[in-house]
Amino acid sequence: MSAPRIHGIVLSGVGGQGVLSLAQIVLEALRRSGLHALQSEIHGMSQRGGSVHAQVCFSDVPLTSPIIDEGCADLLIALEPLEALRYVAMLRMNGQLVVSEEPQADMEGYPPLDDVYAALKRVRGCHLVDTEALARRLNHRQAGGMALLGLASTFLPVSEGVWHEVISQRFEAKGARVLEKNLEAFQAGRGLVHDPVGV
Amino acid sequence: MAQSTLALGVEAVGCAAFDAGIKGAFGYPGTPSTEGFEYVEAMIHAEPEDRLAQWAANEKVAYDLALGVSYAGHRALVTMKHVGLNVAMDAYANSALTGVRGGLVLLVADDPGMHSSQNEQDSRRLAKFAWLPVLEPSTVQECYDFTWRAFELSETLQVPVMVRLVTRLAHCRALMIRREVLAPTGLGLAPKETIQDWVLIPSNARRRYLDLLAKQPRMVEALSSMNRLVAGSGRRGVAVAGMGRAYFQQLALEHPELNAMPRLEVAAYPMDPGLEPAFLAQVDEVFVFEEDYPVLEERLTFQRAGKIHGRLDGSLPRTGELTPRLLKNALGLVTTEGQAASSLDLPIRAPRFCDGCGHVDAYEALQEALRNLGLADARVFGDIGCYTLAAQEPMTAIHAVVEMGASISMAVGAAMAGQTPSVAVIGDSTFGHSGLPALLTAADSGVNVTILILDNRVVGMTGQQPSQALDQVERMVLGMGISEAQLQVLTPLPKQHEANVKALESALGHPGPSVVVFRRECIQSLRRGVLKDHDRELRACVEQVGCTPEVRP
Ligand code: SF4
Repeated sequence: MSAPRIHGIVLSGVGGQGVLSLAQIVLEALRRSGLHALQSEIHGMSQRGGSVHAQVCFSDVPLTSPIIDEGCADLLIALEPLEALRYVAMLRMNGQLVVSEEPQADMEGYPPLDDVYAALKRVRGCHLVDTEALARRLNHRQAGGMALLGLASTFLPVSEGVWHEVISQRFEAKGARVLEKNLEAFQAGRGLVHDPVGV
Repeated sequence: MAQSTLALGVEAVGCAAFDAGIKGAFGYPGTPSTEGFEYVEAMIHAEPEDRLAQWAANEKVAYDLALGVSYAGHRALVTMKHVGLNVAMDAYANSALTGVRGGLVLLVADDPGMHSSQNEQDSRRLAKFAWLPVLEPSTVQECYDFTWRAFELSETLQVPVMVRLVTRLAHCRALMIRREVLAPTGLGLAPKETIQDWVLIPSNARRRYLDLLAKQPRMVEALSSMNRLVAGSGRRGVAVAGMGRAYFQQLALEHPELNAMPRLEVAAYPMDPGLEPAFLAQVDEVFVFEEDYPVLEERLTFQRAGKIHGRLDGSLPRTGELTPRLLKNALGLVTTEGQAASSLDLPIRAPRFCDGCGHVDAYEALQEALRNLGLADARVFGDIGCYTLAAQEPMTAIHAVVEMGASISMAVGAAMAGQTPSVAVIGDSTFGHSGLPALLTAADSGVNVTILILDNRVVGMTGQQPSQALDQVERMVLGMGISEAQLQVLTPLPKQHEANVKALESALGHPGPSVVVFRRECIQSLRRGVLKDHDRELRACVEQVGCTPEVRP
């Protein structure tokens, strides 16, 4: 009997960007796809602009550890470029990184942006997404997170229909317009080409 | 059909308490325990008949409320973080002697690694100290199932039962399968013939202590099915508990050869004293994986010195959280080579005050007032809440943060030692939690202390729960004996800066105790409209019956 494959996703960003809410969408989507999934989150003072990260593990067998070991994550979804760099070592050699280009630089000692981008481009499987341009195009200021999820979704064993179901359920209460905007952002991300570092 | 849903570990405890028919849930917010109370609170508010959920002024009050519900014959849940149990310890330790009537379950969430706490104490030690049972789940489903079990045990053994979680489990989200919901039922008041059991005067307490000790073998027996010895091959074994059990179990999925190791699996204490010798007889070498203090490890080490690997012999770090990587390293497993860490210097993104937070204005006024009085070096005693962030560079406006309520008493102590004027900074809910008795002493002492109460109207840091001191702060201050002349209420806004500095200078100049309240609602709670209904009712009340804003509607 061979050991079951355990998959890991890391999500990172800054408090207030919606990292935990994305993680919950991912968790629910995996669960609805018949997989066993666990999510771990570290929050506490997250409302006040600190780093926030969450992890999701899944497999087709029941799991008990909510934490992914370094070098074992298949996918890193980062809502902020510096917050992506913090977790690069979590990725497998052939893992994928889906990251927003938009910095949240209101902190002490944020490195020069060019250095940050250069470092990201050295990561294998890095998909750098210009979320700002995308948000402008879609006329939806907060499109970034959903678009990143859209692109990331193409790496996950979840059907488009399930993603829509989960996203709909999540935004239902906020009205048809908000839901439509979020689905649009998700689809836009899903449509981005798989071209590491060229997106 | 059984309902299933995704829930956090702490939420699963709250949900199970509801399903097991509690009458009341009580707690004081504290990461990572907060959501456990909030979950059961939401369930109770959705069906309020017969049930009640109430945040308490502090953990001791919460515990006593739960004990009262138990005395009245109903099941109760009380929730807190690990350091909160220090505050509730008097109630907890003594309720071991009184025993319970309705099942009483205490959810405690420990924070190894100190993600948002001032220490990483292990609540299993406090349970042992009180001679009480503690259950230690390792998955979200176990959080749910163990909580049910805890209620049953509590009623069978007639003692409070602790369910102990750690951050990783408290904030692990996974599937939870629920059972049939029990309506809250009552056993009726503690019967007349047991009244003396509840009256802990020395003659009764001596008897009750003996009773508690006599219950120990029954506890061991009742819990024995939760701990087990798994035979294996080879002379290398593992002893696992809590998240150590969870991590090891998953590691064994990836490395099936680990399944052959003899195992001691622990999920409840006190454990059968025969279990450890039986385990040690099977192995020459043991790895101990448990979260936080080396509780199991110490017990095993007492039984047999040598080749017990864990936090004490350096196989695992002495402090901090357990991780799957630490287990792999200790067991000598090959770790996966992943992508290289970024070589770029990554500065820490420290948490900071929200833009526009009133605390910042209050601190700026304080710092300027101290400078103007030639007291730029004055030490300021801080407390626990968002305003603790002022201890960080570059603000460094507070110079001691110890535990809830310490600011006022430490400032009084320092003033008594000649360090004047002495300044304390405390939030409104921390003031209600344990600042009140300190202020009573401050007023009585008459020493030169200036106490700033930063009133943001909510418990900001833990998610803006309404503060118990809401709209009551001035009355509380006066009630503790501070004179009206020495109480000022200011608004922390940039445009009020000059006036605030002046007011602080006068308070600092006063040779006795004085209090300055800075009141402005937390930005986050304003944004979420947490107090919208409250304030609307308050306004209506003022307009209609002319009651003062000081009085709650
Ligand atoms: S949560 Fe509220 S009290 Fe805390 S920093 Fe933000 S505005 Fe200030």
